[in-house]
Amino acid sequence: MGIYHGDKMMRYEEWSKLARKASKKSLWMVHFCTGCGAVEMPPVMTSRYDMERFGIVPMATPRQADVLLITGYLTVKTLRRVIRVYEQMQSPKYVIAFGSCAINGGMYWDSYNTIKHLEKYIPVDVYIAGCMPRPEGIINAFIKLMELIDEGKARGWEKYQKYYDKYKENQRRAFNFEIKEEQKEEENEEH
Amino acid sequence: MKSIELLGKGEEMYGRAYIKLNVNELEEAIKKLKENGFTHFVMLSCIDWLDKGKFELVYHMWNYEEKEHAMLSIDIDRNNAVMKSMSHLFPQIETYEREIHEMYGIKFDGNTRLTPFLLENWPHAPPMRKDFNSEKFVKQVYESIPFIEEDENEGI
Amino acid sequence: MKEYELFIGPQHPGITGNMMYHLWVDGDTVTKAECNVGYLHRGFEKLMESRLWMQNIPLVCRICVPEPDVNEAAYSMAVEQLMGWEIPDRARYIRTIVLELARISAYLMAIGSYAGSIGIYTIPQWSMGDRDYILDIFEQLTGARVYHIYIWPGGVRWDIPADLPHLIEKTLNYIEERLKLYDDVLFENRIFFDRAIGVGKIPCNKAIEWGVTGPNLRACGYGYDVRKLEPYAAYDEIDFDVVSYPDLGKFDAHEAGDAYTRMIVRRLEIEQSIRIIRQALKKMPEGEHILKHPNWLRWKVPEGYAFSRVESSKGEFGYFVVSDGGLKPVRIHVRGPSYTHGINVAEKILQGANIADVSQILFSLDICPPDIDR
Repeated sequence: MGIYHGDKMMRYEEWSKLARKASKKSLWMVHFCTGCGAVEMPPVMTSRYDMERFGIVPMATPRQADVLLITGYLTVKTLRRVIRVYEQMQSPKYVIAFGSCAINGGMYWDSYNTIKHLEKYIPVDVYIAGCMPRPEGIINAFIKLMELIDEGKARGWEKYQKYYDKYKENQRRAFNFEIKEEQKEEENEEH
Repeated sequence: MKSIELLGKGEEMYGRAYIKLNVNELEEAIKKLKENGFTHFVMLSCIDWLDKGKFELVYHMWNYEEKEHAMLSIDIDRNNAVMKSMSHLFPQIETYEREIHEMYGIKFDGNTRLTPFLLENWPHAPPMRKDFNSEKFVKQVYESIPFIEEDENEGI
Repeated sequence: MKEYELFIGPQHPGITGNMMYHLWVDGDTVTKAECNVGYLHRGFEKLMESRLWMQNIPLVCRICVPEPDVNEAAYSMAVEQLMGWEIPDRARYIRTIVLELARISAYLMAIGSYAGSIGIYTIPQWSMGDRDYILDIFEQLTGARVYHIYIWPGGVRWDIPADLPHLIEKTLNYIEERLKLYDDVLFENRIFFDRAIGVGKIPCNKAIEWGVTGPNLRACGYGYDVRKLEPYAAYDEIDFDVVSYPDLGKFDAHEAGDAYTRMIVRRLEIEQSIRIIRQALKKMPEGEHILKHPNWLRWKVPEGYAFSRVESSKGEFGYFVVSDGGLKPVRIHVRGPSYTHGINVAEKILQGANIADVSQILFSLDICPPDIDR
């Protein structure tokens, strides 16, 4: 299969390389403020640290967006809605996670309502360190994402499709706050 | 202080009035203070004293003319936590009682809106009680979920 | 007409953050509204019970995201009440300057978001850019743009550097010049009058009973401000006015308690804040910036019940702190202003409004979901 380009037939890899070069210059992000990192998004969107010169524009509906930004910590109630938004986006799609709360729980490591590692529930492409990250750091992350797209290494959506059952099992356990039966028996033995 | 004169008991603590009441005196006390200038209801807090075996509910009210803050405090039993609802006096008390019902497990008679408020789908004990260990809960629920490792043998 | 259910949900550009409103509509009017929060609930009060008294300060400032200094000040004031400490004079004036700068930046953000909801998109671009100059001052003073950890029990963390008053003066002159441009584009604009007058009225005789505080209460005709009722920091030695309906300076006063009056009150209070900062810079005394403090790791606070209140740009923040003489607190309960505005007041006002006005009413009440959920 291929596409005619003059006399020669373009192979699939060359076509997708050209498509990636074009798509990295116009990434549209979903407008969703999930946590406290969202207060550094308006300075990035407006005229001081202008991100529109890179082609990044906020978009109201997930059906027409490429990038999902998780700005900070996630509670279990928000995680349900984030999964629904992520599954409504169309491939190829990318995820950027802000702050130390998405890496290992951060300051809320012993809270009963926040999830600790985001990687267990949806695949993440780029992490930004800090609490909270500066606007220059956010633009740096977008540039790093553009480099990864160019090389073909940003493949989170393919991992989600391949291991779909394992991701769904992890999400189900988090939504129901499930404690497994073996751990309950260990507790009873200790008493 | 005006609230201590009106109700006949209480003491002054760091510039505020702290008044200890019985459960059946509470509704009359709030009505009397509301008619005498204490028109702003600030909040309703609950303290869990595990070793004394009781819950303490504190009703805070503020007077704009006299600039005085009154704290009305009552005790209820920890094992049989039921209380009469005061939401017909001020409309925002309904929301405070809803939150205390979810976080401490106290039942309020007369409040028709005791539905889940901040937590969704929560099957365990009320989380703000002192015998709920948050660190152990995190280990059992969140740390036991595995990371997803890619298999080396399969190709994409 | 059939009744439809609409969810103005967490992923929406027309609501003030991460919360959800469940509406029942009949044609174009809303018949019933219910608020659904809990998307940002981290369980702060449970976390604060298992940390030392000093370790709670980085947690406390994350309760209100646009204006974090207000929470640090209220927590420090409650702990100082229990300890019986009197902070030095220089620290009181520095706290006043920091709190007023945070107030100006929060008002600029509120005005920008409100203008975006009625369709005037120039104002958010301008106000977010101007607010960044205030964040530059904070970065010079404390090292971070958003969360400062600067106000401690006993005073402030370190003294102000020598060139900071000059930078503050320059920024305040710049903001005063820009306010004239905001008037041209938003506050004297025909579109603003047509859309905001008479919309989202709070009945003024029931405002105090419903728990309304802050600029929303002052727009209903009551001139109550915590800075005058129960002065803290250096407010009893500084001269300023409380803005309330019907004296609205150079703007015409129409109806009490609607969206127009609320936004005009916020616009005029920026001028009062600039006046306060200029007086505080002139009157600043010499002296220490913090009391001599004990070893933070072994610090026990005596027994008692303390309550402290602070005026923030959204309303009245209250902290109830209970201690039994130990290393960790027994109970800390935070009262956020949006608890009453977002749930009880909004559910009653939204009945009878058009769907297109729902977003405008919520932004004019200035609801901030983190201080409902904590």
